[in-house]
Amino acid sequence: MKIEVASISGNKEIAKGIWKMDFDCPNIANNVLGPGQFINIKVDPSWEIPLRRPMSIAGVKGEKITIIYKLFGRGTKILSELRPGQSINILGPLGNIFTTSDKDSFPILVGGGVGIAPILWMHNELNIKSVSHILIIGATTAEEHFLQHNPDKNIFLTTDDGSIGELGTVVPTMESKFKEVSSRSFGIIYACGPTPMLKAIHQITTKYKIYCQMALESYMGCGIGICQSCVIERKNDSPEEDSYGKRFSLVCSDGPVYSADTIIL
Amino acid sequence: MVDLSVKIKNVEFANPVLVASGTFGYGNEVSELVDVNRLGGIVTKSITLHPREGSPPPRMVETPSGLLNSIGLANIGVERYISEMLPYYEDLDTNIIMNIAGSSLKEYITILERVEGTSNYLSGYEINISCPNVEKGGLEFGVDCDLTLALTKELRKRTDKLLIMKLSPNVTDIASIAKAAELGGADAISAINTVVGMSINPQTRKQNIFTGFSGLSGPAIRPVGVANVYIIFDAVDIPIIGIGGITSADDVVEYLLAGATAVQVGTANYREPGISIRIIKQLIEYCEKHNVTTIRELVGAIRDED
Ligand SMILES: Cc1cc2nc3c(=O)[nH]c(=O)nc-3n(C[C@H](O)[C@H](O)[C@H](O)COP(=O)(O)OP(=O)(O)OC[C@H]3O[C@@H](n4cnc5c(N)ncnc54)[C@H](O)[C@@H]3O)c2cc1C
Ligand SMILES: Cc1cc2nc3c(=O)[nH]c(=O)nc-3n(C[C@H](O)[C@H](O)[C@H](O)COP(=O)(O)O)c2cc1C
Repeated sequence: MKIEVASISGNKEIAKGIWKMDFDCPNIANNVLGPGQFINIKVDPSWEIPLRRPMSIAGVKGEKITIIYKLFGRGTKILSELRPGQSINILGPLGNIFTTSDKDSFPILVGGGVGIAPILWMHNELNIKSVSHILIIGATTAEEHFLQHNPDKNIFLTTDDGSIGELGTVVPTMESKFKEVSSRSFGIIYACGPTPMLKAIHQITTKYKIYCQMALESYMGCGIGICQSCVIERKNDSPEEDSYGKRFSLVCSDGPVYSADTIIL
Repeated sequence: MVDLSVKIKNVEFANPVLVASGTFGYGNEVSELVDVNRLGGIVTKSITLHPREGSPPPRMVETPSGLLNSIGLANIGVERYISEMLPYYEDLDTNIIMNIAGSSLKEYITILERVEGTSNYLSGYEINISCPNVEKGGLEFGVDCDLTLALTKELRKRTDKLLIMKLSPNVTDIASIAKAAELGGADAISAINTVVGMSINPQTRKQNIFTGFSGLSGPAIRPVGVANVYIIFDAVDIPIIGIGGITSADDVVEYLLAGATAVQVGTANYREPGISIRIIKQLIEYCEKHNVTTIRELVGAIRDED
């Protein structure tokens, strides 16, 4: 965990409201463990925006880190106005990682909304390692997609309005792909996205008793375990009245990646 | 050479900049990022008798120049503090002040006695009295002079270490609470804890914080903190530790001029865990520029005339 002033080398809109930023930060880049980890960005030097903004790492190349972010509110607006050559203050790498899967597990990767970054990185890593897998990315309309719908290559896009790829959310596509895959091998699902999406995925994976890891988001104060804000409820069969860390878990330092069967969304 | 050191009771602080309870964890989490030995001191997260899970989320929300929180005193409890944290503090070269919270007079006493009964390198205790007293129908200790006096007296009897009472600004007359703490034998006053606030989402019509009422901190409350320190300085003779919205050396000087002997940095740690180290450097620059040879000259040195 380090704080580094990173120099921005690229920042552009890759789909409607979706931006990609690259920056040089050797000290942090050298310590990144893998998909799931995130950084915490001080977007505003003034107190106009008091807290840092957490962003998943979408890839690391040498000393460069890439993030993919969605224009959401004030903080991400400021990020989108930064130009190459300017610098930003970054804290990281933070959090844990998805477990990697071996050749015969045939994982399904599902991403949506602000949760595309770690899923895309995982997809690239699995390609490098020649691990067959399915990638499903959801968005509202075609304009928000920056990948190509390519069923031959097991890349499926979904849109709420059907303007590209499969009509609807990622969930029906995931369910049908899972049925296809499960006859061939043991399945595993890696997911990241908005909470309603993760809830729906959780239901499906519970129904089919399939192992699923999810990277969660929650409101974060510090990202390093000191403010105790970003809690998520754990599934706990023997809840105790007086407990610390038994009912609630800190997404920033215990997560953000959890086995779906250990948490309550 | 500028002398930044201050002394409260028999405790020497290399500089007047401490980090505030609940904003620096137990001190170990940030040691990768910050050389904690350069701090004036660390006030650790409030400890209760038993471990506490804290409030359900959401626990925090940003507000203009600050934030609201209701963590619900999530903490590891006194036994784990003793077994896991105290040994770590032995190796540190800064003052560690244990912050204690209780829901009854007895609970505060039990925690303090338990820690006093172990060998430890703590410099002292800071008592969080912004806690509801279950024996008095949830009335906060810190809003009542008699409760504050009784609590301070009982704790004073049980320790010779530095005993600091941390006051809440959510009272009608903070001067009388401060006097009660002084009368009870406190060595110093910390002020202020967070200011009661609330935030509601106009779209969803829901509270932004699970518990509704929550505590405001950050630069937004700095003027409240400075005013309270100014009032307390007038009311008591014991030293004051100023808290609330500190982000720079100028903010520290503001508190010192109002009457604080030392300060604590809170919310700013979330943005910049090493901010206190920078503030200490800036303080030296301030002193050099203004021909201040010892930081103690500044305490209460507000210029009221001309
Ligand atoms: C571990 C983690 C990884 C993330 N990775 C990405 C990513 O790769 N790409 C991306 O676009 N977004 C990501 N997010 C969400 C991103 O942090 C928020 O979208 C962003 O902070 C919004 O800031 P804003 O100032 O634009 O919006 P505002 O609405 O002004 O934000 C106000 C506050 O709400 C918080 N907040 C708002 N939305 C979210 C959210 N969905 N999750 C958590 N906090 C939120 C902000 O951090 C801020 O404190 C991640 C969040 C977490 C916790
Ligand atoms: C998230 C958070 C948790 C806190 N926890 C505690 C605590 O456990 N005990 C305590 O006495 N004060 C606690 N405080 C109050 C701070 O110590 C400090 O008094 C207050 O935040 C004002 O200072 P600031 O504006 O610099 O943050 C907490 C504050 C915040 C923001």
